[in-house]
Amino acid sequence: MTNNIKEIVNIALEMAKEAGCTASRAGAEISVQSSFTVRNNILDRLQSSTGSTLFLQLFTEGRYGYFSTNRTESDELSVFIKNATEATRLIAPDSDRVLTPRELLYSGDNIDLGQYDNSFYSISPQEKREAAFRCSEEIFEKDSRIISSNCEYGDSLELYYMADSEGFTGESAQTTFSVSAECSARDKGGARPEAWWYESSMYYSDLNISGCGDRAMQRALSRLGSKKLKSGKYNMVLENSVASRVVSPIISALNGASIHQNNSFLAGKLGERLFPENLHFMDRPHLYGYEGSRMFDSEGIATRSMNIIDGGIITNYYLNTYNARKLNMSPTIEGPSLLSISLNGTFPGESPKVGLDQILKETGKGIFITGFNGGNSNSSSGDFSFGVQGFYFENGAILHPIKEMIVTGNIVELWNSIKIAGDDPKRGSRWLIPTLMFESITFNGI
Amino acid sequence: MSMFGVTTDDLKKLVKVALSKGGNYADIYFEHSISNEINLRDSEANGAGTHIDYGVGIRVLDGESTGYAYTEITTMEEMLKAASTAAAIANSSKSFYAEPSVSVTDFPERYKSLIPWTGIGFSERVPALAELDETIFKSDKRVVKVLAKISDSNTKILFFNSEGTLAADERPMASIAVTCIMQNNGRTENGSSSRSFRMGYEMITKELIKEIAEEVVNKTSIQFEAGRPSGGEMPVVMGAGSSGILLHEAIGHAFEADFNRMGTSIFSDKLGKKICSEDISVVDDGTIYSNRGSITFDDEGIISQKTYMVKDGVLNSYLHDRISAEYYKTEPTGNGRRESFRFMPLPRMRTTYMESGKSKETDLIASVKKGIFVDNFSNGQVQIGAGDFTFFVKSGYLIENGRLTRPVKDINIIGNGPEALADIVGVADNSVIDNGTWTCGKEQYCAVSCGMPSVLVNKLTVGGV
Repeated sequence: MTNNIKEIVNIALEMAKEAGCTASRAGAEISVQSSFTVRNNILDRLQSSTGSTLFLQLFTEGRYGYFSTNRTESDELSVFIKNATEATRLIAPDSDRVLTPRELLYSGDNIDLGQYDNSFYSISPQEKREAAFRCSEEIFEKDSRIISSNCEYGDSLELYYMADSEGFTGESAQTTFSVSAECSARDKGGARPEAWWYESSMYYSDLNISGCGDRAMQRALSRLGSKKLKSGKYNMVLENSVASRVVSPIISALNGASIHQNNSFLAGKLGERLFPENLHFMDRPHLYGYEGSRMFDSEGIATRSMNIIDGGIITNYYLNTYNARKLNMSPTIEGPSLLSISLNGTFPGESPKVGLDQILKETGKGIFITGFNGGNSNSSSGDFSFGVQGFYFENGAILHPIKEMIVTGNIVELWNSIKIAGDDPKRGSRWLIPTLMFESITFNGI
Repeated sequence: MSMFGVTTDDLKKLVKVALSKGGNYADIYFEHSISNEINLRDSEANGAGTHIDYGVGIRVLDGESTGYAYTEITTMEEMLKAASTAAAIANSSKSFYAEPSVSVTDFPERYKSLIPWTGIGFSERVPALAELDETIFKSDKRVVKVLAKISDSNTKILFFNSEGTLAADERPMASIAVTCIMQNNGRTENGSSSRSFRMGYEMITKELIKEIAEEVVNKTSIQFEAGRPSGGEMPVVMGAGSSGILLHEAIGHAFEADFNRMGTSIFSDKLGKKICSEDISVVDDGTIYSNRGSITFDDEGIISQKTYMVKDGVLNSYLHDRISAEYYKTEPTGNGRRESFRFMPLPRMRTTYMESGKSKETDLIASVKKGIFVDNFSNGQVQIGAGDFTFFVKSGYLIENGRLTRPVKDINIIGNGPEALADIVGVADNSVIDNGTWTCGKEQYCAVSCGMPSVLVNKLTVGGV
């Protein structure tokens, strides 16, 4: 299968050259997926698919176009690329649209990052189906307050190969196996609060099926009897499974396109200390066995360990070739790979475990957020406002779930309120964000 | 059928295999989609792209259960494999397949490209973007950047099912979207505006460009004057048009019948019951000509229609696909939609709006002592079971003693669907559809639109300082 996409990519590059492109980049991916869904302990859905897509970036006469197709028969592809090249010639030239400088590209062997399970094709449909039922049986008829459950086993295989007209080649392969459970419980007043849980792994043998359904059920039941709190300032603890929500606005603001378009509250802040002296945003893209690890980005730029925020100082923007040239800077990387947060400069797992229980205890009282409900942030100012769900806690112990509440503030000010960052990121996520605690944050309720 | 290289006999054969394990219904959904986009930044249209997607999805129903498989290669060998995979949702040694008599179905026209985008090269789209860019820069000296995009797609559909329905459709979609960035005294603000219709190139007119240029400049410049209000519970007047996001999030999703047949919607046991003021009627309509949410037939071969979800305050109908219609022993409402052949259809909204009432917007505002008026939104979300919904307000105004006073911005509003609906105490006579690029993200993406008259909601929770 890998040889097939390599052949398609190489043919596409050759066709682009014949069509008159001065440079080109092509990538192809094959995606194989299957899933089994069990609702209320009855098989509800099975899905299976194999898909492939060819991506093309064409450079000609200082102009740039991007194209994709899943029609890769030779005759049709040839016409498509000729038309694409002609279309590219019709748009305005931009001298900053060029291939990435060679010295920045990944040039090593295809290093094993521990992301591919050779057993992918040997797992039978029966095993997959049983995994979904195992998850379901942890919920079904276990509590009369549960009115519906939906459990799913899913797996996927993603093969990717990329090359450019200057000789770059790179490839990657990743498998993912997951189980997930959603559960609804009947509450007073007709409300039916729902909750979910999931487990994910890149190796089937590492997939933690047991306990997933029960955890979703317990989370749904824990949401019964929710109350709305008075508006005011509360300490805020963010569960590791949702803490990335307050990281994303920072990452978006560090993106080169936002910086160049003056649409970022972090534009012009490179080298400035905007955050606490102990705060670090770290990217460690070469760690073995993590989903976010990768050797190169979508332009082929070699990834490297780097701190984006180091001791509170913004040390890097995310710059691809185009945005870097627009800003008269050097390309770094298009975006984060295996990102995490720390208050002591150690990557999660390198220091003693600081988890949720300890953080709740140290915090004393406040709001523990387990999910977000809508909201947004202003890319120019960093002002945010998010709907939240979670629990009110005192003396480190959860007292009751909350409902219809909003957290509001400014993202820079929020991060200046951080007091505790755990060492407990949820595995199976591309970003490894631990449990976080922020002090005295504005919540709106009654 | 020539586009997809199949004959009627091929389709019958595929359905036969799909039902070979005992499924009671099967359908085949072929799709060929071409989309284009051209982007303007730094006053130059210097990026463009074209994307082709092609394939077929085969679905088998066994009661409420679904088997689904798709392939991008439409040889009989590959399609038969997909049919066989989907068939496995059923587990019977007996097939209930009966060869259908094929009926080619013609549906009423809901859209048409008068000037098809296929004949419009990238270079012909540039002047419109340039004019938009120039108009915005000329409008306000504080403008520092303009990002604009024109995109179009044309999707050809061939549909066949085990009941013998054979139908074809060609679905155009076009959008123009712009973001404006202004700077003033060291502050930066942004605003966005868009329009989207199922139309050809005739959609791009000087009037439209002028309209969205003015709109985006106004939306951005108001931000410099705006602040954040004190948060908490307060009356909210939702302005006409894009406030339809309230309907989409607060009740629309909870009316989608899959959530109701599963018992997970907060409206699951409210069919036929009075849920709000009798002044309120809410519609989900797939028949508005050229509208972004319109379809001639849905993605399971059911004719599009106008469905009253709430009629005179009573929950009149859920939004059905074939599965839920069978469950409720009613007719499908034409809401079975999907993002593409890669996805199975689900009950999805089309164009959801509230019909006009009798009040005047000015009277609604005048009746509020302290609250807010909102009319510019970016996104929303809902928890179907709990009923809690939110929507993000880019800008609006404080209402103080019955008058609009200071502008407000960047606030989330949260409420509970049934409570908010019951809390609508005034409906104005100015219902209007918002024609922005609304896209719903329930498991898969789907083009929708929404509309609303101005309404007064007695109490919602407003995020503030």
